[in-house]
Amino acid sequence: MSIENKPITFAILSVVVILIGTFVTMFLPLMLPSTQPVSDYIKPYTAVELEGRDIYIREGCNNCHTQTVRPLRTEVARYGEYSKPEEFAYDRPFLWGSRRIGPDLNRVGGKYPDSWHYVHFKNPQEMFPKSIMPSYAWLAKRKLDTTYSFKKVSVLGYGYTKQEVQKQIEAYKAKVTSPDYPAKQARDAVTPPELRGELTEMDALVAYLQKLGRDVKRLKQRGLTQVAEAATTLKNPYDGNAEAAKEGESIFQGNCAPCHGKDATGGIGPNLRDREWKYGSSDQDLFTTISKGRPGGMPPWQNALGTDKIWKVITYIRSLQEK
Amino acid sequence: MRENGYDYSVVRGFAYSAMFWLIVGLLVGLWLAAEMVMPKLNITPWLTFGRLRVVHTNGLAFGFGLAGIFACTYYMLQRLTRTRIAFPGLAKFHLYLFNIAIALAALSLFAGMNTSKEYAELEWPLDVVVVIMWVIFAINVFATLIKRKEKQMYISLWYIIAMTVTVAVLYIVNNLEVPVNLFKSYSLYAGANDANVEWWYGHNAVGFVFTVPILAMFYYFLPKSTNLPIYSHRLSIISFWSLVFGYLWTGAHHLMLTPLPEWIQTVGIAFSIFLIAPSWGSVVNGYYTLRGRWDLMRSNYLTKFFIFGITFYGLQTVQGPTQGLRTLTAFFHYTDWVIGHVHMGTMGWVTMIISASIYYMFPRIYNKKEIYSIKLANLHFYLILIGQLLYTVTLWIAGIQQGAMWKATNPDGSLTYSFVEVVAAMHPYWIIRLVGGLIYFVGILVFAYNLVMTARKEPETLTEPEPQTV
Amino acid sequence: MGWNGWAYLIFGATLVLTFIWIMFHYYRPKRKKKVEEPKYRMLKDDDEG
Repeated sequence: MSIENKPITFAILSVVVILIGTFVTMFLPLMLPSTQPVSDYIKPYTAVELEGRDIYIREGCNNCHTQTVRPLRTEVARYGEYSKPEEFAYDRPFLWGSRRIGPDLNRVGGKYPDSWHYVHFKNPQEMFPKSIMPSYAWLAKRKLDTTYSFKKVSVLGYGYTKQEVQKQIEAYKAKVTSPDYPAKQARDAVTPPELRGELTEMDALVAYLQKLGRDVKRLKQRGLTQVAEAATTLKNPYDGNAEAAKEGESIFQGNCAPCHGKDATGGIGPNLRDREWKYGSSDQDLFTTISKGRPGGMPPWQNALGTDKIWKVITYIRSLQEK
Repeated sequence: MRENGYDYSVVRGFAYSAMFWLIVGLLVGLWLAAEMVMPKLNITPWLTFGRLRVVHTNGLAFGFGLAGIFACTYYMLQRLTRTRIAFPGLAKFHLYLFNIAIALAALSLFAGMNTSKEYAELEWPLDVVVVIMWVIFAINVFATLIKRKEKQMYISLWYIIAMTVTVAVLYIVNNLEVPVNLFKSYSLYAGANDANVEWWYGHNAVGFVFTVPILAMFYYFLPKSTNLPIYSHRLSIISFWSLVFGYLWTGAHHLMLTPLPEWIQTVGIAFSIFLIAPSWGSVVNGYYTLRGRWDLMRSNYLTKFFIFGITFYGLQTVQGPTQGLRTLTAFFHYTDWVIGHVHMGTMGWVTMIISASIYYMFPRIYNKKEIYSIKLANLHFYLILIGQLLYTVTLWIAGIQQGAMWKATNPDGSLTYSFVEVVAAMHPYWIIRLVGGLIYFVGILVFAYNLVMTARKEPETLTEPEPQTV
Repeated sequence: MGWNGWAYLIFGATLVLTFIWIMFHYYRPKRKKKVEEPKYRMLKDDDEG
């Protein structure tokens, strides 16, 4: 029983030992939805944005710029809303980086106009004399290679057809080559005349940078209306489901019973068995009441329970009234 | 070489490869340090900081680090098993394939072909080459171990086995990618998962390339060069199992306060703190080996390399988990502090141990009594010690200032400094860092000169050892 | 306790027991000579006999 004499057994045992931590912290999270949530608000990159992203990777921009804003006061003040996991659902590979020789870029989209980027790429020191960023003027002297654009979005599973990819490329080309393009002057200053009618690598990189954080900014503009929207557009998916009602009961006992009573006949809060509803009795009304709360004592539960559990609680309450 | 003697030709080949890639990697590093002081040095696309930085990290971690590890492994493996290497031809092929792979890696990274995942930047065709190379190495390791004439395996062999199997698992899993064409691929994982897999790999590349095999060298070459047995073989075994068990849990300490689920971050930092115990198990084992014989620090030129090396390892393994704590990571992460931390490990621990191991091996693989000049070896030691300390201490001080300036706020809650103001404030530190790097580089040139002169010394009395037959 | 609670408890207990076993196994006075032998043998170069 001494493995120090058996190299192969020893090697196998070593693999088992290293796989324990690997399983818990790496394989297991791959299977959990919480590690990679998907949100309707986050859109995949267009073919042009993806080409820009590949140039970002090729030039190793991630060696100096991070793409994660941490939930810290000064960081949010400097860069904007902190980063959420769902934002990166289409990022293969991730580009969070590990070092800030330059600033974080996760919220750079829409922060500056396109013209800012053209001027900055051409010569960063012209804008910021103390900057140590290299000049990337040469990116404007290279025509964007779109040979593999369709194959790339297919590999990544973005779901665009060949025609859609072509349209995206043409549309972006039309935008930046148009005489009305607001950044025309800055673009022409760095792009050689023979490429002004084409898409350059710099154009794609600018498109990519302008996409960073854009979806989250839009989501924030919509604000909390999202919750209300969910309530007005959704019906209870568990309506009449006995199993969901049972789960709802245990959620109820853990969260609602302290005020509404173990048997839901009321206490600090009103009786829930008596079919009398102060704020309406439809699914939507109940959902809004629970998720957003009501004046006079009912706290909002959206963050604590989430949509799914709220529906289960509603299913449970409905089952009480049927009796 | 005698028929059944040890095969040292592959050891020599890897030792020279290590020297070569060390000098190349350091030159690239110096150029990078100069670019941070003088951005005009980003002359052409392939010399821009973004492309060059990966040439520096890959060239030194895999060109220098792995070559040094292979050289020492082929040496220790034969001596500890008292067996000639199982397939010398295969080992030679390994040497050639390794250098071709590193050269192609450097060229492709200069050309901008990289996957962006840190320390795994090579594109997929080169990943395939690396895997083939590793399998060839593993075949020789295990075949030699099976043939061995020494029954019980000394601790260094344990570490070598752990490295051999773990690096294979790490490299393959993290590099799973879908090719678009020969020069471009996309990671199999997305977003937070990709980050988690990458840092599981990234941290354990540090663990199983910069720690485990270097410990194997430490446990072998320190006793050999002092002729003192290691203090406790049992302690080294307990440290071994705790280390290889604990390391794999810690990757997420690179991702503190990111969108990665919080429980993974907490597990990562908890195990990082746990790892201090086995790390210091090795440190203590090294110190106790010298108990009563600390005079060797003065009289034996190699002892100080090993003792300073293991001391930097000890400091490194306390600093790492500490700076990973949420309160401290909030301040230190993304600053120059971390660059200082990494370079204490690489310039202090890894390079000092590999240097001393090569010094120990060189006279033996060239049949010389001693190296060319102990005086020059001492000069080399002090130059790399001073260069490294100047480099790391400067960047720690710079990192504290950088972190403080990023966080400074005015009474109304607004930020005190713009980003570029903080960049400008770093300028003097970056000049001192460049000077530190230069001193270090001179030390490495002395090292290379000393080795070449050792090899060229007049042949002395040959005592080529024969493997003992049991 | 649900299945995951039990799994967690068993996992933790297994780790502790394994660690105790490793310590006991290698630190038994009876084994000391054998466990510590390689550190002396590695110092003996075969050229010295």
